[in-house]
Amino acid sequence: MNSFSAEERLALRESVHRLLSKGSDERAVRATMDTPGGYDSKLWQELAGMGVVGLIVDEAHGGAGVGPMELELVMEEVGAALLCSPFLASSVLAAALLYGLADEELNDRLLPGIAEGSCIATAAVTGRNGCWTPDGVTVSGQEVDGEWRLDGCASFVVHGQSADVLLVLANTSQGFKCFVVESGAAGVGMTALPTFDHTLRLTEITFEGVKAEHVAAQIPAWDAVARAMDLTLVALAGEQAGAAQRCLSSTVEYAKTRIQFGRAIGSFQAVKHMAADLLLETESSISAARNAAASLAEDADGAAEAVSLAAFACADAFVATAATSIQMHGGIAFTWEHPAHLYLRRARADAQLFGSSSFHRERFIQALGA
Amino acid sequence: MSSENPVSDDVLREEVRGWLADNWIPEQAAAVGGTERIWGASDELKAWLGKVVEARWAVPSWPVEWFGRGLSASQAKIIIREFASVRAPGAGQDRSSMWANTLLARGTEPLKAKLLGPILKSEVDMCLLYSEPGAGSDLAGIRTRADLQGDHFVVNGQKVWTSGAAIADYGMLIARTDWDVPKHAGISFFFCPMKQPGIEVRPLRQITDESHFNEVFITDAIVPADNLLGGVNTGWKVLQTALAYERSILGDFARGARSGAKESRKEEVLIALAREAGVLEDPALRQEIAQAIAYKKLNSLNNARVKADLEQGTTSPAMSLGKLAMSRILHEEARVRTAILGAQSLFEGSDYPRAEDANFLTLNAYFTSIGGGTDQIQRNIIGERVLGLPKEPEVDTSIPFRDVRTS
Repeated sequence: MNSFSAEERLALRESVHRLLSKGSDERAVRATMDTPGGYDSKLWQELAGMGVVGLIVDEAHGGAGVGPMELELVMEEVGAALLCSPFLASSVLAAALLYGLADEELNDRLLPGIAEGSCIATAAVTGRNGCWTPDGVTVSGQEVDGEWRLDGCASFVVHGQSADVLLVLANTSQGFKCFVVESGAAGVGMTALPTFDHTLRLTEITFEGVKAEHVAAQIPAWDAVARAMDLTLVALAGEQAGAAQRCLSSTVEYAKTRIQFGRAIGSFQAVKHMAADLLLETESSISAARNAAASLAEDADGAAEAVSLAAFACADAFVATAATSIQMHGGIAFTWEHPAHLYLRRARADAQLFGSSSFHRERFIQALGA
Repeated sequence: MSSENPVSDDVLREEVRGWLADNWIPEQAAAVGGTERIWGASDELKAWLGKVVEARWAVPSWPVEWFGRGLSASQAKIIIREFASVRAPGAGQDRSSMWANTLLARGTEPLKAKLLGPILKSEVDMCLLYSEPGAGSDLAGIRTRADLQGDHFVVNGQKVWTSGAAIADYGMLIARTDWDVPKHAGISFFFCPMKQPGIEVRPLRQITDESHFNEVFITDAIVPADNLLGGVNTGWKVLQTALAYERSILGDFARGARSGAKESRKEEVLIALAREAGVLEDPALRQEIAQAIAYKKLNSLNNARVKADLEQGTTSPAMSLGKLAMSRILHEEARVRTAILGAQSLFEGSDYPRAEDANFLTLNAYFTSIGGGTDQIQRNIIGERVLGLPKEPEVDTSIPFRDVRTS
């Protein structure tokens, strides 16, 4: 893994910031969220060109080979810009799952495409109850005459409809196993789910006797999923923290310029105190996300605690900031044209995508020994 | 021994090590009371501090004429570290002593000559005479008056929330010296002698039934003109100097919190209490416990990030959030403790230690959410100084103080 200096991290962040401030401004986000695919392939190629799509893919497979700390920083920019892309699904969740499974032949085949953005991969883990726990898995695999076949349903698959390759977790008589399925394979049924966050794409995928390639995993498949989830949660925490911070700063700017009763509304303590409370939330979310990234990077003992803390602290901070931001703006933010609701929609989606805040609080207290 | 002839770090380190080896007996630590500055220093501590001051280790970044060595801040830190490594108190007072620093910065020459040494040696005790019953959050609204009569001021009024007033030799006092100018412009700052007939100290009974603070009634108390700091009517500025030193000390404590977060591998107290009460499996309580612990951990993480930023030479907005965060932590911990106990929290007395704790902490949390600036004032400060939001219009800052409305 490549380790960046503090300066290199800032430079990486700055270059992502520059690209997204043009390529993913509000107009671009609104245009992209109305497309069926939900991402801008030209911007995706630009992100691939600067090494962001292959950020965590190692250099041998054409990526930048950086770790959780760099990923988290990039995600702060991704969240701030409300980027519409399969980055979290393909570049983070799927790539991390492949690393966890450690099937070298498979990685040689899939990772280069993932890194250059030409192959979009995603992971199909949970069923219709949306629980990221072993009992949430509702796809089963059977080995018949040396061939694996999958049946069942996976849901909440992020960017499933854009995916070329699916990494599917299935229950088998030998426990959980991971399988590779081409998205166009016979017996695969894809249904795009209508999402409250229009910048998100979720898919329900049905499997009817689908021929699947068994991954020769080096560790138990659920362990690989759990590891990939940890990295994905850190990335998501970064997105939430960055988005919350952007939300607050644009709201504070508005409160300085919006005049009522002859003075800026930000001079009223009723408004000012909301902003001060949100600053505590957003700064704490930045601290939590970066700490979780650092813990994962060190593979520290406290990683489970740090990741679950970041998961609910950042989720709650983003929801609170986006929600309060609408209240602080007043009527203007109740209009479709104002971007505040886009942040609230993303916040509410992010807060459920890989487990709710109460789910992660429970994980946190368990990590503390209770 | 002057800034024109700087010593190298290594030479300095050797000198302080050698001096400590010759003078400090580690077994002394218990007798002198450790590295904490405490009210009413023991004779052993005073004797030790005397040595430290005479050897110029107490305030090494100060000028040579005032017990210092004219060293840079980074060299002064070398001395602090060497003292800390053998747990010897008394070094680094150029960072930690609000009293001495304020006096050095703003005091008259006679007052510095009289008190700087004794303060550094803890031979005199100090207290703060700032807040009044009618001037809490609005500190510039003080009504204690100081009137010049010949070579001294005569002071009348009432101060409150003074800790250590009963044993203090001097109080840092703000009093009004001009009633015909706006409120900030008519205040002066004094070292007020406490051991005189015009000063009456009464303990204040708190909602916790403890008495950590006093009310101070001031009736025709005498303050020599030499004890005025910074000149007549510039007291608000001097106060800002003193508050800045106070904050920098509090900041040192806040930064210390990081190691506290790391060292403890013990079970979180809320988890232990819930286990003991047999309610650890209650899913609703588990959520509340997790959230209360999270507030604490997040504050430690903020402090660690502030510290790392400072070391990189940058600052973070999180710096100003510690006090507000701490007040939420304390109120929430107390609330969750109470929820864990349920009806047991109805009781009082030594037969009910868990209830005593929860009930005490519930009340004492206000010490942090009101003391040293209420949460509401803190939110104003964060909104205005950190986020750059405009101030509320002020109705009392440009009129003569005597025309300002009072309750």
